[in-house]
Amino acid sequence: MTLSFKRASALVLVALFAMGPLVLFMSSAHAATKSPFQTTRKNAGTPNSSQVTVDPTTGSITSYGNDAIMYSSPSPALAALGQALYQQNCASCHGNAADGVAADGTSGAYPNLVGLGPATIDFWIESGRMPAANPRSVQAARRVARLNHNQALAVTAWINSLSPSYPGVPSVNLTSGNVADGAALFALNCAACHTIEGSGDALALGTYAPSLRNIPATQVAEAIRTGPGNMPRFTGNLSDYQVRDIVKFVTTKIEHPQNPGGLGLGGLGPVAEGFIGLALGVGLLALVGFWVGERQ
Amino acid sequence: MSTEVVNTARAKKQAMGPYGTVGKVLGELDDRLGVAKGGRSFLDKIFPDHWSFMLGEIALYSFVVLLATGIFLTLYYIPSQAIVTYHGAYLPLDGQRVTEAFASSVDLSFAVRAGLLMRQMHHWACDIFVGAIVVHMARVFFTGAFRKPRELNWTIGTTLLILAIVNGFLGYSLPDDLVSGTGIRIAYSIILSIPLVGTYLGFLVFGGNFPGTAIIPRFFMLHVLLVPAIIVGLVTFHLILLVRQKHTQFPGEGRTEKNVVGSPMYPVFMAKTTGFLLIVAGVTALLGAFAQINPIWQFGPYDAARISYAVQPDWYMGFLDGALRVFPAWSFHGFGYTIPLEVTIPAVLFPGLVFNLAFAWPALERKFTKDHAMHHLLDRPSNRPKRTAAGVALLANLLMLFIASSTDVIANFFHLSLNSVLWAMRILVVLSPFIAYPITYKIAKEIQLLKGGGKRKTANVVSRTAEGEYVATPSPVYVDDLHHELAATEVPTFIEPSVDVPTDGGVRTVTR
Amino acid sequence: MSEIHEHRTPVSLHGLTENDPHLQPAARNPQLVERVIAVTFLAGIASVAGFGACYWVDAAPWALGATMGLGLSFLGIGLVAWGKYLMPRGPFVEERHVLANTDDDRNAFAAAIVERGGGVIKRRKVLGGLLGSGLGIFGVVAVFPLLRSLGPLPKGTLFHTDWRAGSFAVDITGRRVQVGDLAIGSILTVFPEGTQDTDRGQAVDQTVLIRVSNESFTTKKGRESWAPNGYVAYSKLCTHLGCPVGLYEQQLQLLVCPCHQSSFDVHNGALPNFGPAPRPLPQLPLYIDADGFLRSQSDYHEPVGPGFWERS
Repeated sequence: MTLSFKRASALVLVALFAMGPLVLFMSSAHAATKSPFQTTRKNAGTPNSSQVTVDPTTGSITSYGNDAIMYSSPSPALAALGQALYQQNCASCHGNAADGVAADGTSGAYPNLVGLGPATIDFWIESGRMPAANPRSVQAARRVARLNHNQALAVTAWINSLSPSYPGVPSVNLTSGNVADGAALFALNCAACHTIEGSGDALALGTYAPSLRNIPATQVAEAIRTGPGNMPRFTGNLSDYQVRDIVKFVTTKIEHPQNPGGLGLGGLGPVAEGFIGLALGVGLLALVGFWVGERQ
Repeated sequence: MSTEVVNTARAKKQAMGPYGTVGKVLGELDDRLGVAKGGRSFLDKIFPDHWSFMLGEIALYSFVVLLATGIFLTLYYIPSQAIVTYHGAYLPLDGQRVTEAFASSVDLSFAVRAGLLMRQMHHWACDIFVGAIVVHMARVFFTGAFRKPRELNWTIGTTLLILAIVNGFLGYSLPDDLVSGTGIRIAYSIILSIPLVGTYLGFLVFGGNFPGTAIIPRFFMLHVLLVPAIIVGLVTFHLILLVRQKHTQFPGEGRTEKNVVGSPMYPVFMAKTTGFLLIVAGVTALLGAFAQINPIWQFGPYDAARISYAVQPDWYMGFLDGALRVFPAWSFHGFGYTIPLEVTIPAVLFPGLVFNLAFAWPALERKFTKDHAMHHLLDRPSNRPKRTAAGVALLANLLMLFIASSTDVIANFFHLSLNSVLWAMRILVVLSPFIAYPITYKIAKEIQLLKGGGKRKTANVVSRTAEGEYVATPSPVYVDDLHHELAATEVPTFIEPSVDVPTDGGVRTVTR
Repeated sequence: MSEIHEHRTPVSLHGLTENDPHLQPAARNPQLVERVIAVTFLAGIASVAGFGACYWVDAAPWALGATMGLGLSFLGIGLVAWGKYLMPRGPFVEERHVLANTDDDRNAFAAAIVERGGGVIKRRKVLGGLLGSGLGIFGVVAVFPLLRSLGPLPKGTLFHTDWRAGSFAVDITGRRVQVGDLAIGSILTVFPEGTQDTDRGQAVDQTVLIRVSNESFTTKKGRESWAPNGYVAYSKLCTHLGCPVGLYEQQLQLLVCPCHQSSFDVHNGALPNFGPAPRPLPQLPLYIDADGFLRSQSDYHEPVGPGFWERS
């Protein structure tokens, strides 16, 4: 034995001391990951005190608004600027009067924007889906918006001035939102398309449910209330309090998923897990087995 | 000296015999059990050295990890479907109505020290366990290690694969989260689809109509007691047979049907295999540390009216899910009865066919090759082109079905239409075996034709003589140089034996 | 034959002298290897000690796993290296003994069974028969408790849901749905009142309520009165495997099953137009009562959910 017991034990002691700072670092790192278990439960509000009212015969929304979500229409003063921006960016498809009648007189190819309500217009512009990169694609993709926030509000103001309608652009009062209730509502209403981890997935005939990561609260609320594209509208069946809770859940837990177990693997579930388990688990161990099993 | 000094160290040692305490204990044991002879031949047992013989060990040792971590989990998990209001460690779920099974699964992850690590290690070990069984089985298949006299061990191994898959599904279901609950729902519908007895079977298994309150406790009993007990028993039998029949080896100089060349059980093999156990456990722990698996707190509790998109089972159930996706909507209605062929065929008949084929393969091969000889030397896969091609064809088919289980993820990732992806997978699932078979067959034949196929070229050793002349001489061929030896045997081709194969059960002579 | 070749020829373990090359370590430089292994073991000891420390301070899961995983891996790697490089390099050979016995032994074994047993059993056929039928009957009887106690029999329960003539449609919280609740393009999961928080209600009675227009809507011939004010209701159970068909695309007017992507045409009686589902989703006939509440005219006209044998 070339290594004396004395030297070996000295080395062990040194190593143990070296572990000290590491352990401290790890326990402090744990404090950071512990946060999801320390948030206190906020007042849940009253889930069914909906202030949304819907016309019984037509099903269209007649009024909105309370302390959970404020719906506001952009100032008419912006309308003039908005019209100019509209002519530059939107009119070639939606027509000069925003009625879906294109410059060449064809109608029906593109949607009529009159009476859609500020939330709808604002959502499509601010999520970068309009102006569309490829108007013929099955589904407009989310991009970096071409118009900035004020420009989008200006266009919204002009279109709304043609025929003022609901819902207005929502601003969500997130401080009072309840994540736990939002999670339950999300599982019931949203997860069927967007997946429970908000990753999004392909739907029928080339359409898809987009990922919900990195989406501002306003746009989440707009999408829920207006049902853009193939997404269903959630109106009388969800109160503003409930929408607020869902928005809070999406903007906190979905966008910042808690992965105390390690890498989140893209929220892809067993597909990614199987890949890792086979490649890193079985594959790596087979390589080790190559070293173990072969003779020198 | 008036007294015998019996208490000196030397005398004591003499009384103990030349091997000290060990010898004494073994002597006492041998008096009672007669272990000396057998024990020695066990320690002298020779294990051939080849990396592919380690694959089965990965499976064995990940099963050890499964048992160890599983015992930890049973201490905290509550197998009950009673509804409680969650007020546990994970506050984003606070106030939700959940089952005790779900609540205890979340709490054992967050409120128990190392709980999350143990749960993740358990799940990763399961993924590795089934994967290693499949790879080990492929090695046994392609090298012909299942042939006489090892057919029984092949049957046990196939049974173990089925049990591993079943137990994986049962365990995956236990947390009662949104994703696994959907899996149970599908399992119920598959049972329901069995003609004649399906509805009765479904009601008996679930204790009534889905979901009932019996399924989680029943799955728990099956998962932690019945199935693992059978697995432990079969693994033991598998290993006893391995020891009794001795390990197969690849052919080579010095290696015959009548001997085993390799390392002795004690100490070499024991050190290496114990080390490998530690490494398997270590890698599983590292996966459990850095790769999150099955985050049930993100999924939330199961509720029959809730659903998440992109629900997939664990990878080893993927081929079943894929088969259910690609099979067309053919349902049989007639004579007042329904046979849901769209479920029965892909989810009941198809896996039954695959596993029965695996069970029957050794007998089928015996029948077609008329090869009833004992085989302890392994085949090179390319020397058995038909067997190899058949195996690759089946694996290609299963791989396509596995890929088909994530049509939606593929469509989303590559921005394709879900419908076209599904159609592509339908075509690939059907065609893949017919593409894979001839290609594999051709490659195998080509490898056979290669001069010295599989042989490593012998190196030349250049040396300088005393006169200053350089001489190149071929280096000696090492007896255990596997790469050299692999090509050595001549073997009969599948179906049409090209050399006479004795049918009396005798040992075939290997010509070289 | 070179010296190396000699050394590489497999030998039997027995009768080797202490200096035999087969018993020497495989490593060319055992001292160096020993040191490397010692360092590996020390790293392993430090890591498993660190695991203990992490456990003590309740460190994050990744820290626990990292220390444990590294510790076990280091110890394992060291042990394998020890076995591989410092233990007898071999190779060794062992004879394979034929497991089969001689024909005489086999015959004696078979004879013992056939002759000894045959003599006893053949002469007492009646006894054998009686014992056999006793055990057989017990086997059959033993199955009865399994059949009778494991669960109730289906008895036609799969043919009905809890929707009755006049059942109020309520949402998951039990709130009755009124005609003004849904906008066009909205979807809601409803239950017959009283079942919304029961297992059976959620598993069997769940129904998707979609508003497709604001006037009476016909999804299929003979269903003219089933969808008042554009409210269409279908069973939420996929006819393929019973997953909740909760995925509604309002422009395509498709209901898609999240499990295996069968899609159902909402405008055309939920006829499946893609995927493995074989039958349309059953439609629930609705009416709107005098107070504006949505109610069912009757139960579904066919069994909901996946196919089964007794379903005609």
